[in-house]
Amino acid sequence: MTERRIGVFICHCGGNISDYVDVAAVRDAVAELPGVAYAETAMFACSDGTQQEMVQRIEEEGLDGLVVASCSPKLHLTTFRGVSRRAGLNPFQYTQVNIREQCSWAHTDDRAAATEKATGLVRGAIARTAESDALVPRSVDTTAASLVVGGGVTGLRAAIGLADLGLDVHLVERGEELGGEVARLGRTFPDERYGRSMVDELIAEIGERPRVTVHTSTELAAKSGSFGNYDVTLASADGTSTTARVGSIVVATGAATYEPSPGEFGFGLTGVVTLEEFTRDLESRHGRLHFRGRPVRTVAYVYCVGSRQADGNEYCSKYCCSAAVHASVEAADLDPRVRQYHLYRDVRTYGRFELSYEESRRRGSTYLRYPDDDPPRVVPTEDGRLRVTVTDLLTESTELAIEADVVVLVTGLVPRENAELTSLLHLPVGSDGFYNEIHPKLRPVETVVDGVLIAGTCQSPKTIGESVASGMAAVTQSGAMLMRGVAELDPQVAVVDPDACTWCGACAAVCPYEAISRQELSGRPVAVVDPTGCKGCGGCVSYCESDAIDLLGNTDAQVRALIESMVEVPA
Amino acid sequence: MTTLAPRVVDPHLLVELQRLGAPDVSACVSCGNCTAVCPLADNDGTFPRRLVRYGVVGLRDELLASKELWTCYHCAACSESCPMEADPGAYMAAARRYAITRYDPTGVARLLATRPFASLGVLATLAALFAALLTLDHGPAPTDRLDLFRFVPDATIHWTGIAVMVVVVLVALGGLASMIRGVARREGLGARHLLAGRAGWAHGWRAAWDAAIVESLGQRRYREDCTTGTPEPWYRRRWIAHALTMWGFLGLLAATVLDYGLALLHVRATGTPEPVWYPVRLLGTVAGLALLVGVTTLLVNRVRRATTSVEHSEPGDWLLLGMLWLVGASGLATEVALYVGGGPAWGYGIFLAHVALALELLVLLPVMKFAHVLYRPVALFFHSLVRATPGA
Repeated sequence: MTERRIGVFICHCGGNISDYVDVAAVRDAVAELPGVAYAETAMFACSDGTQQEMVQRIEEEGLDGLVVASCSPKLHLTTFRGVSRRAGLNPFQYTQVNIREQCSWAHTDDRAAATEKATGLVRGAIARTAESDALVPRSVDTTAASLVVGGGVTGLRAAIGLADLGLDVHLVERGEELGGEVARLGRTFPDERYGRSMVDELIAEIGERPRVTVHTSTELAAKSGSFGNYDVTLASADGTSTTARVGSIVVATGAATYEPSPGEFGFGLTGVVTLEEFTRDLESRHGRLHFRGRPVRTVAYVYCVGSRQADGNEYCSKYCCSAAVHASVEAADLDPRVRQYHLYRDVRTYGRFELSYEESRRRGSTYLRYPDDDPPRVVPTEDGRLRVTVTDLLTESTELAIEADVVVLVTGLVPRENAELTSLLHLPVGSDGFYNEIHPKLRPVETVVDGVLIAGTCQSPKTIGESVASGMAAVTQSGAMLMRGVAELDPQVAVVDPDACTWCGACAAVCPYEAISRQELSGRPVAVVDPTGCKGCGGCVSYCESDAIDLLGNTDAQVRALIESMVEVPA
Repeated sequence: MTTLAPRVVDPHLLVELQRLGAPDVSACVSCGNCTAVCPLADNDGTFPRRLVRYGVVGLRDELLASKELWTCYHCAACSESCPMEADPGAYMAAARRYAITRYDPTGVARLLATRPFASLGVLATLAALFAALLTLDHGPAPTDRLDLFRFVPDATIHWTGIAVMVVVVLVALGGLASMIRGVARREGLGARHLLAGRAGWAHGWRAAWDAAIVESLGQRRYREDCTTGTPEPWYRRRWIAHALTMWGFLGLLAATVLDYGLALLHVRATGTPEPVWYPVRLLGTVAGLALLVGVTTLLVNRVRRATTSVEHSEPGDWLLLGMLWLVGASGLATEVALYVGGGPAWGYGIFLAHVALALELLVLLPVMKFAHVLYRPVALFFHSLVRATPGA
């Protein structure tokens, strides 16, 4: 093997590193190592000036490898891959070493040891880089079509958006009708529109778009293929099934409304209802508020039913405070004389919904704050009303009794039972039962499975507006992936050496992405990794007994060289 | 406190308070700014947040049993600092109005407070009835000199006055009884605390002294703490106007009692002209002037809306000030008539009006804003007693 020409840059990070690590000593210790053609320190490696200097050095010195010893790769991996690319160096022949978090910040008490550790890490990275190969991203042609799973408000709106981008859309709904939870809602905040009317509008728009194929009473039964070209099987309740090829899958399976158990805050008693039922059956007769035919003079709302429970759903369902507050304003619209008591833990009418909270107070709503460990109790009275007792923290923790005609349980959202879909699409599920995105802020609708996106309340409790917004984000992301017709895939995937492979099947069994299959080669079975399906997790590598699998970008040779050079003490 | 039976909330309390002029306190978010700025709020009395809360939630008994209702002088510092503009100061005033209607056993207070126009009719009728009663067997009205007490016989005034007194005392005792019952239970105080040996008696006397002399007559905290934020000339200060009114009224009361006392002792007959320096006359004149100046200042402040506390006035506010002014002015006019010489016919008319209005003011005392002279000292008594009684 010819001598490598590796450039090493060691960063001061102002003083963040150099105050505790003797960066010049690190440079001196590695400058003469075999394969190192250039070694220097820099005040700020990430600064524009230093980046330009790196590009210049790589070009002038004809470097074929780069080691940057600075901070965490989480911060600047992309930065220096960019530097490599600009200098014409393959980005996979660059290695990042973290001597800030792992050396200077961690060992402020021992400068000599911090320096020694940094030297070891840099030495390892040089050895690893010396074993690196140039890797080229794989490009695949993508299918200009999407599958939307779930025909609720999020799925409907997403299907319209995808069709308007010019993509073919298959919209799959498990139920007999489109519309989901929103179709069952009464007037919704903040604009008073009935859920049914919004859903009907979206269904009508879908009808005008021939690109959208609607499959009701249908479930996703099977999925194969890989990013950009998924082959899906849609099984209908009538026994038939269809197949389709799609580039992306938008999961919008929604959430369910929490169903109180019998007796929970008097649930089951006449007049104890969920918020959803209350807003649906509320009406005014002769200027007086009526609910299901009975006059209502006093309403009590119990908040956080099924949400923020220590021994259950710990999360806040987010939409319910605003919805309940809005319902009370609406009730006051129907009958200004109605008295309404809100029994809450915290009022979370965030953003502009706060104005609604203020309005409700001005319109005759009274807010009573109950302690987390002392929830209200609801019992029937002899005259057919309901008696709610509550400890009000805002009235010197006095226990109050309210005689109410209706007790509204402000219920939250719970994740749906979707075990089959979850395992079929390998969707990551959080401890709360909702699907997880890659990054809550920067990659809010993508999952770790390329091309599978999540939107709406299957991800977390959301308002209708937020659900639709996340659906539109999934549309945009699908467009970004599919509209070019080709997609670039990470080249850091597993490869099988067919000569060493004995096909034991262990690798295929552990692959979470079903990217390994058995194929015949020269008359014997071997494992083959589909590079478009592989996510480079390395699971198969460690399971392979015959050592036949290697992970590009992190080959056994690279890792071995790294370890050995780290433990070896140079003379 | 939570071990007690739950308090049943009354959903209509806020509406009833609003009918009596309470501002929209449902905007209150219980932030406590009002209590923080209140110069009277201390460990022995936290308000007005708590009392606003009682109204918002609907705790009628707690509100009516709160001595703090009556220890507030409505400086309106709370209203000026309220971030929700819920006007807690005006709320406190409305709550006092409400308390007067609820303590009152007759129901007249409620009528006066909620039906201003019907009330005007009732007031006019009542005044006319008094006038008719006084002139039922009137004597001659000579024109050479003003012989007021033969025109309206001495005995008529005497016995009518006594009848009015009896009615007032009965109604006042009824009102005080319901207030005292509520406050005592709420504060955990009873007769046993006052009768508990020497210490109990001492506490009682001390509290009575504080309530009646230091705070009611001396207006100590009204003077020292409850000044409004708006700078005003000394002669328009609320406590000075209030002191002039109160002392003027008490002075007139004293002059009347002395006048009757001298008549009973046969020193001199009621209504005999005396020189200006004659002590009883001097007292009456000075007190009458003080009352007029005080009431006029208070009226002018209300008309001008000089401070936040008089931003809004209810019929009951005008009624009390108006009647006090009429009684004072007619009394002074009667005195003028006595000394201008001769027996002008208007003198008899003014005198008749004066006596009728004075009797009306007296008989209505427990059922109008005037009733604060009953309830405030009692509340101050409890305030002082709670402070002195450990474990109460």
